[in-house]
Amino acid sequence: MSRTNLIKKLVGVILLSVIILTACGTSATPTAAPQAPATTAPENTPVPAQPTAVPKPTGKITVWGWKAAMDVITNSGVLDDFKAAYPDVQVEIVQYSPTDVYQKLPLALQAGTGAPDVALVESSHLAQIVNLGGLTDLTDLVKPYVPKINAYKWPDATLNGKYYALPWDSGPVVFYYRRDVFKAAGLPDDPDSVSKAVATWDSYLDVCKTIKQKTGSDCFSLNKANNFARLYEMMLWQQGLGYYDDQGNVTVDSPANIATLEEMKKFWDAGVTSDQLEWTDGWYAELAKPTPADKPIASLVEASWMGTFLKSWIAGGTAGKWGVALMPAMQAGQARAANDGGSNFVIPDQSQNKAAAWAFVEFVLGREQSELKLFAYSDFIPSLETTYSDALFIEPDAFFNGEVARKVYVDVVKTIPTAHVYGQFYSQMNGFVATAIQKVGTGKMSVTDALKEAATSIRQQTGLK
Amino acid sequence: MAESTTMLQPDVHPTAHRRPVWRDIVKARWPYLFISPFYLLFIIFGLYPTIQSLYLSFTEWKGLGPIKQVGLKNYTLLFQDHVFWQSMENGVILFFMYVPIMTFLALVLAVILNSKRVRGFRLFRTILFIPYIMNIVAAGFTFRLLLEQKYGLVNSLLGIFHIPPVPWLESMWGGRVSLCLLVIWAWLGYNMVIMLAGLQTISNELTEAAMIDGADQAQAFFYITVPMMRPVILFSVVLSTMGSFNLFGEIYTLTGGGPMNATITPIVDIFNQAFANFRLGYASAMAYVYFMIIFVLTLLQVRYFGQRVD
Amino acid sequence: MFVRRLSRTLGDVVMYALLIGVSIFMLLPFVWMLSTSLKPADEIFALPPIIISAHSSLKAYIYLLQQQVSILVNVRNTFVIAFSATIVRLFFCSLGGYGFAKFKFPGQGWLFGFLLGTMIIPGAITMVPVYIIMRNLKWIDTFWPLIIPGAANAFGIFFMRQYISSVSEEIMDAARIDGAGEFAIFWRIILPVIAPGLTSLGLIFFMGSWNDFMGPLIYLKSPQNFTLPLVIRSMIGPVGRTVYDVQMAASVISLIPLLIIFLIFQRRFLEGITAGAVKG
Repeated sequence: MSRTNLIKKLVGVILLSVIILTACGTSATPTAAPQAPATTAPENTPVPAQPTAVPKPTGKITVWGWKAAMDVITNSGVLDDFKAAYPDVQVEIVQYSPTDVYQKLPLALQAGTGAPDVALVESSHLAQIVNLGGLTDLTDLVKPYVPKINAYKWPDATLNGKYYALPWDSGPVVFYYRRDVFKAAGLPDDPDSVSKAVATWDSYLDVCKTIKQKTGSDCFSLNKANNFARLYEMMLWQQGLGYYDDQGNVTVDSPANIATLEEMKKFWDAGVTSDQLEWTDGWYAELAKPTPADKPIASLVEASWMGTFLKSWIAGGTAGKWGVALMPAMQAGQARAANDGGSNFVIPDQSQNKAAAWAFVEFVLGREQSELKLFAYSDFIPSLETTYSDALFIEPDAFFNGEVARKVYVDVVKTIPTAHVYGQFYSQMNGFVATAIQKVGTGKMSVTDALKEAATSIRQQTGLK
Repeated sequence: MAESTTMLQPDVHPTAHRRPVWRDIVKARWPYLFISPFYLLFIIFGLYPTIQSLYLSFTEWKGLGPIKQVGLKNYTLLFQDHVFWQSMENGVILFFMYVPIMTFLALVLAVILNSKRVRGFRLFRTILFIPYIMNIVAAGFTFRLLLEQKYGLVNSLLGIFHIPPVPWLESMWGGRVSLCLLVIWAWLGYNMVIMLAGLQTISNELTEAAMIDGADQAQAFFYITVPMMRPVILFSVVLSTMGSFNLFGEIYTLTGGGPMNATITPIVDIFNQAFANFRLGYASAMAYVYFMIIFVLTLLQVRYFGQRVD
Repeated sequence: MFVRRLSRTLGDVVMYALLIGVSIFMLLPFVWMLSTSLKPADEIFALPPIIISAHSSLKAYIYLLQQQVSILVNVRNTFVIAFSATIVRLFFCSLGGYGFAKFKFPGQGWLFGFLLGTMIIPGAITMVPVYIIMRNLKWIDTFWPLIIPGAANAFGIFFMRQYISSVSEEIMDAARIDGAGEFAIFWRIILPVIAPGLTSLGLIFFMGSWNDFMGPLIYLKSPQNFTLPLVIRSMIGPVGRTVYDVQMAASVISLIPLLIIFLIFQRRFLEGITAGAVKG
């Protein structure tokens, strides 16, 4: 009797556990689509892109990206255009912060499951993900676009001669400044004069001192203890330098790199910068201060997408008070252009619906009309050079007091040199160099020692020379 | 241990000094069955991974693609990796920064509450314990807001007393202090409750007798209460020690390991190497070296404290 | 005499001051969290800081409820994981604890010592290979990795062994004489008797799972599977823009269930925590 009772009990327990556990299990089915409901057979060799592709792709695709960018695709109308052109494709947009994309996408690629059909990846992290493996080879598909896109964008997207991404936008770096603050400091505030006044970093430093003296405003923000090397990278980029050279040797402690950091350090020494950490709400508050008396931040060396952010959610209330000029050069006559940012779409190899995925990518980024719509909404400069002839690029911008900011961006983007800042090991290199800069800024180490320390660590950890 | 097994093994002595016979084992199949899940799970999720981790530590692998054998290369690299050794150093520094203060404060608060000299025992105990239930991500972000250099509440409050803004998250030691503040905030109540329980098992007669004899409160505290509380204090300290090397969520949300690697700990470093840099082999080697060091330290601690408690 | 009186009162004042001071320190983050969650976004970084905003609203909470993946889904996920993990753990740990507490068997000392020893192994060692195992089992982005591995954990067994060893054996012996099977004894006799201990340990498990961060961080991918700590973390906006008010609202939401449970079961909870220290 006890035996059967016991068995009944055991069965009861097992059943109960199973019920509980399966109840949990079923609520957790991932929806990042490894199964697309009704699709054309997934193809291993992607269909060559033709405007009138027959048969048209169908099914569902999942797209990962961050809110600022995905909103652009949705709100500019491009998503609707795509749905009209491909009525049988359902697009699911999943929003992640960039950090989350860079953690989850590689994990999904490694796990062999859970990756989206399309993912947005910034150029800074593109090479690392391409080198990881797990992305679809898009060489044949992007070949027609290669000559049409900013040349400097391609190295990060290629590996062993194959292409793995299609670029969206570029980040030409320009010089944003507050006209009202410049005027209050007794300086000319029209773009041409300002460009002349900040022709080199040294002359920019003089301008900063004047501004500080006359108005009390800080010239720009350059945090010390938490600096993440953004400005430094722009300064390297404009000289065609970077963290490594063409042979892949580490150049973090090269004389040119050291000299660049010494130049940046001059601004700290002169006390003309704000210590407010960039990309925090405090920083936004300082940029948005309405009048010179409030001592807003006077200038900003940043990429063109910053203009959109200033207009919309950072400093919308200061319309008309900003101007756009050229960024300073290291030495007179050198390039006054660099790149910061820019993103690309990739298609993981796991995707079960590559035809639809590529259709999406090509429609959104490869089509001039789409890129122009995205641009009109966001001011993200398309990497697709064939768009530059459009009338959009000669429109005056009220936020910049009627200046044709877009023309400045385009002129800059055409002169961006190829540099070795991004790349396969960018995260690690940036991490070590940022720490070095932090140590310099907080007075713990000299520039040479800090960069040498960073270079040594980088060499050890990456195996490069 | 209760002698409840007489029904199962009617004709067998307690097996302490006999070699186990197959019959004993079969007779004891129930307890073996009951405790088996732990060992099963441990073999699958503990032992096997530990061994595989050892294997991985001699390779280079991105988690995808081919696994490359590299012998001792990861270990040699590790010994030159000053971020890793910084993280170990940080573990020690952080330990000394918050464990003594927190333990002492927990003890003092427990004594105060236990002394029945203050009203609102239950209320205070609840308030002091509540931070423990907050998840670490929420706590970390809240602290970040509070400690923001220019706009945070804390510096504003300090400003009322004309204290200049403290670079909580903008300097190396500031970062460490901020981290300790967060950890103490989260764990003080927990440790206090443990101390309280310990205190309640100590009779008050001794301290009362001492005070009648002329000792003041402080003397009674140091010479009577504290020594009697040694086992409980030890328990609290051991927990905190293990905690100080295992801080993850706190650091991940509050400081990210900075500024300048001032607050990075080994767990965070291993996590970064594995899941941000995709260097699974290297991360495994790091985990092993870390494990060895912790193992030795724990042994030493148990030895040392074990002798003193006696 | 008067001096004695004065010093006593001073002593009392100091004690109260300390208690109140520490209490303020403990409560301040909660207050700030709540306050920020109700503020309009542009007041979060106002100087001087605003504690109670004139423009308080539940906007942030409403936003969370109406999101693409409503926060209620995350609450449910967190609850399901925590509850399942707790039940599973309670079952296996009490079973294991019972086995160690009420039986004698060959190798018992060694086995138990080994169990205790495993508590030293840092989770970091197994982080990577366990991830690979989960990947091969296709358990990534499911709840299983957060429930199964800890099902029979050393701490729980240790706790239960302590607890069960104080249970009287008479009922057990009587049941055995009646011919009851061993498992039936556990299920029908032991479990009811140790219910208070189960509650205490269960609360500890539940809270630990609810607040777990690293596990979900590694294993949960899709937003609809996120637990509350992950949701809070995902509010770090793009390009460094964090929606603080929404983030704090999510934090408040993550806190409320635990707070309610804690206040109801306070005694049991505290008992559970102290059991290890005092009886151990």
